[in-house]
Amino acid sequence: MRLIIQFLKPHWKLFAATVVLLTLDVMGGLFIPTLAAQMLNLGTAGAPFARLCRTGALMAAAALASGACAIGGGYLCAVLVSRVSRDIRVALYEKSLKLSIYDFRHFGTASITTRTVSDVNTIQMALTNTVQLILPVPIICVTALILCFRLDVQIGLVLLAVIGVLCLLAGGILYSAVPLFQKLQKLLDRMSQVFLENITGVRVIRAFNNEEREEQRTDEAFGDYAATSIKANLRFANLDALSFFFINIFIIAVYYMSGAKISVGALEIGDITAMIEYAILVMFFLMMAQMVILTLPRALECCGRIREILEHTPEILDQTEENPRERDVPAEAVLEFRDVSFRFADAQEDALSHLSFVCRRGETTAVIGGTGSGKSTIASLALRFHDVSEGQVLLNGIDIRKMPQAYLRDHLGYVQQKAWLFSGTIASNLRYGNEGASEEELLHALEVAQAGELIRSLPDGLQSYVAQGGANFSGGQKQRLSIARALVKRPELYIVDDGFSALDFKTDAALRKALAEETKDAAVLIIAQRVSTIRRASQIIVLHDGKMAGIGTHEELMAHCRVYREIYESQTKEAQEE
Amino acid sequence: MRSGTSKGTAARLFGYLGDQKIRLTVVAVSIVLYVILSIWNPMYSAVVVDHLWENIQAAKNSGQVFAVTWERTGAELARLALQYFLAWLFYYLQVYLMASVAETMILKMRRQIAAKLNRLPLRFFDRNKAGEILSHVTSDLDKISEVMQTGLLKLITALGTIIGSLAVMFYYSAALTALFLVFMAVCMGITKIVSERNLKYASEQQETIGALTGLAEEYYNGRNVIKAFRHEAESIRDIQQAAEQVRIANQKTGFLTNCVNPLIRLLTRMSHVVIALIAGRAMLEGRMTVGVVQAFFQYINQTGEPMTEASYMINSLQTAFASAARTFQLLDEEEERPDPAVPADIGRAKGEISFSHISFGYEPERLLMKDISFTARPGQKIAIVGSTGAGKTTLVNLLMRFYEVSGGQIRLDGVSTAQMSRKGLRENFGMVLQDTWLFGGTVAENIAYGRPDAPREEIIGAARAAKADYFIRTMPQGYDTIVDHEAANLSAGQKQLLTIARVFLADPPVIILDEATSSVDTRTEAEIGKAMKLLMTGRTSFVIAHRLSTIRDADLILYMEHGNILEQGNHKELLKKNGRYAALYYSQFA
Repeated sequence: MRLIIQFLKPHWKLFAATVVLLTLDVMGGLFIPTLAAQMLNLGTAGAPFARLCRTGALMAAAALASGACAIGGGYLCAVLVSRVSRDIRVALYEKSLKLSIYDFRHFGTASITTRTVSDVNTIQMALTNTVQLILPVPIICVTALILCFRLDVQIGLVLLAVIGVLCLLAGGILYSAVPLFQKLQKLLDRMSQVFLENITGVRVIRAFNNEEREEQRTDEAFGDYAATSIKANLRFANLDALSFFFINIFIIAVYYMSGAKISVGALEIGDITAMIEYAILVMFFLMMAQMVILTLPRALECCGRIREILEHTPEILDQTEENPRERDVPAEAVLEFRDVSFRFADAQEDALSHLSFVCRRGETTAVIGGTGSGKSTIASLALRFHDVSEGQVLLNGIDIRKMPQAYLRDHLGYVQQKAWLFSGTIASNLRYGNEGASEEELLHALEVAQAGELIRSLPDGLQSYVAQGGANFSGGQKQRLSIARALVKRPELYIVDDGFSALDFKTDAALRKALAEETKDAAVLIIAQRVSTIRRASQIIVLHDGKMAGIGTHEELMAHCRVYREIYESQTKEAQEE
Repeated sequence: MRSGTSKGTAARLFGYLGDQKIRLTVVAVSIVLYVILSIWNPMYSAVVVDHLWENIQAAKNSGQVFAVTWERTGAELARLALQYFLAWLFYYLQVYLMASVAETMILKMRRQIAAKLNRLPLRFFDRNKAGEILSHVTSDLDKISEVMQTGLLKLITALGTIIGSLAVMFYYSAALTALFLVFMAVCMGITKIVSERNLKYASEQQETIGALTGLAEEYYNGRNVIKAFRHEAESIRDIQQAAEQVRIANQKTGFLTNCVNPLIRLLTRMSHVVIALIAGRAMLEGRMTVGVVQAFFQYINQTGEPMTEASYMINSLQTAFASAARTFQLLDEEEERPDPAVPADIGRAKGEISFSHISFGYEPERLLMKDISFTARPGQKIAIVGSTGAGKTTLVNLLMRFYEVSGGQIRLDGVSTAQMSRKGLRENFGMVLQDTWLFGGTVAENIAYGRPDAPREEIIGAARAAKADYFIRTMPQGYDTIVDHEAANLSAGQKQLLTIARVFLADPPVIILDEATSSVDTRTEAEIGKAMKLLMTGRTSFVIAHRLSTIRDADLILYMEHGNILEQGNHKELLKKNGRYAALYYSQFA
């Protein structure tokens, strides 16, 4: 609810105009039976046909006006709702950029995409229905009552009672049906899940002779769903029928009560139809509103899911907007981890503990370790995708929390573990970090990244099309292109997070050689799985369960570090065997 | 859809309602009575109103105050009330009884499909996408349910009401009815045009949403790169543009949808005005009574809506039939060959397996495997080698009888597997495949999948043997942690260890292992290797090998290509032969 109000606020004028138009439409709708009654009265009173025609013209005018209002209102409603959903989408995306990697991963790409696209669609539909079908309900009820009371107070009171009962009934049944429908949605999900498991796991199920057990499981899920949906259906059958019942009572009451009133001239015969028409209109709108209200819990859930993201406090905020002063002499230690510990918000243990090392200009620092050893966390901390829990990360001697994120990242070149390219051309991808780069620079970077051959083999060269994520290139090609992208930026510090993993040994070697030449004035931090990739690094940091198990050159580590030796042996043994 | 098949589908669909006959008969009777009453009631109300009016006039003329008494309209009013009550009763009866009819029927179909799946050969699952099969059980059946639930009822009632009402209306005034029908025709035309337009805009909308989804996915996936390269502002601009495109499309479809009803309403009201004028004139001239006029309007109201909605209702009925046809097609799929009437029972096998003169093809006219024979003695290790698509899974399919051989015999402990029940055969096999399958349940339940009654100590023992005990203990609820949908809380390696534990617990004499450990890091890979080795001891094992190092000590190597076994023998023999295996082996060292 709050979400909707928040996003309606900027469009409140539009919202007000929509409501006004829809109100006018509804009132016009009630005015028409009134005029029709008048016509009937004139007809029975034997009035001249011309007067009949005048009332008819009035009726047509009312219908036209009400129709124009309804169509106008429908238009404004479409504009309003489409704007609100666009704003929510953009807000979601903007917010997503502010989330830390951990928070983002916690939500998941698929889930955030769903929230941005289909959740907003659901909200949009619900909002349209609310504006068009729920908001008019109180207006209809009140207007109908006023018109009825104007004709006759007693019958007005009966109508009031009938509307009251109907509202109570609808409210009561909805109150009990909403949780039922929520349960139904869950049961539907469960049914799909169990059934899908049965299809994808068919080999395992048959291998273990578990067909009957699985059949029981699906039968149970199907049965629960059927039972609950029958229950829900019954509620609505009741509501439907009861509304019908009370309207009929009202009609009989009107016939019964109006006889005497007509004979004393307090009412006219046509008023009977008018009053009945009011009641029917009220019932119609109440029924429609119920149908809409049923869809609201789902939409509210979507709102909740979106708010979860929008209201998530970002972990990382700029503490200063001022760039630190550039030094005259470039610092020797480009990146330094000073006794850094890091713990994820909900974790029991540190992901990294008491880590200290320095990446020097012109040197390559390598990090190696198994999955879950905390390797990639180092890259995230250096990029300030997370903030350290303890200790400091320094860029050129300055704590990275004391500079804007933009400043920090301007100095970094990043090659991601899962190479990701954007749809466009190769050139547009390479210029991602340096828009002014010349074609020569691009080609040079490609050459260094061992992708020169690749580009020459493409008919469109630099202008070759790149699909979403770089899907039209192989893993190794993507990695080389993303290395070239980092090179074009010419940063002070390269962070390569397992960026060589998809390259064959020969390319890996050639690339490392060319890269060493290219990055003489910069520091390189390589995170790798393969010993061969990092063997010649100036220093190698061995991580094990978030702790530093050793630091030094390959030879030093081979001599003193057991974890390193184990990794080395497990990899080389295989290489020898194959 | 041809009419013949659709008739067949409809008949079969209604066949499912057979066990609800009594209920449906009551519903049918209620519908008929309800329709009769809803046609009759306005007609009778005309009588009541006219009667009331006459009495009032009479009272007025005699200077008295009129009051409803039993003699003066009271009786008629009571009768009208009774008729209303009856109409309500029959309406209530039908909706109440129908509330369970559709779901009961769908439940039956769902259960049949689930049971059917268990009798279908693996061939079916290999040829159809899981999502498509799933859609039969969910969306297809839901569509049928919805239509059976409300659509059909509405359609029948509407049909009866329209025909009956029109008849009465013609009786009252042919000219007015004709006029009304002209207006209705215009309305129906408008709905048709609008719905066609809407279809066009809807596809436009779908396109823009598709573009937005693509862009959002791309940027969410690449957000680290976007941030590292400081492209936040540009990416926001792109998203804004895509969202704006969606907005424009949304506005168009939204407006169209929003204005259909007002447009129809406007037209109906205009028709009301015209009809009211003509009726008024007729009243003035004494050709129509006030009761008849108000009754005429009641008829207009109760026929107008269903008429404009008719095309929509017929449409949904057609979709439901199409869904039913798809469902029946699934239910009619050819089933697996039944087990022999008196299956050979060998109990727990020693584990000798022999292929003699096996031929096989996924399509009978295209044989892949021709005249293959080999024997695996109890406890031996058989390695299966070949590139991707060489048909390594074919061998698994035949061993487990997921597919039947086209010729020859596979024997387990000397008994042809075709003579055994599938259950009896599969009890002797354990499988660890590359696509690890876990179901939504606890870790312990997943390990105990082959022996649901296994005590907790044995489950833990199996997990220990599979080197899975440690990581299971680090999970929030240990062995009782729920493996959620798609097992997102487990890594690929951990899933594999769990499937190994599952086989340890089942303890079969023959195992089939797929060695592939892609997307698993070196250390976990080593753990998996150790667990697999332990699992193989004392069992006949078929290993789908990806790494030649594990092959050298195999008792028998089967070299496969294009679904056929081209060479067999141990490592030394095959190298000596200097054939394909030798070529593959040396190529990895060149």
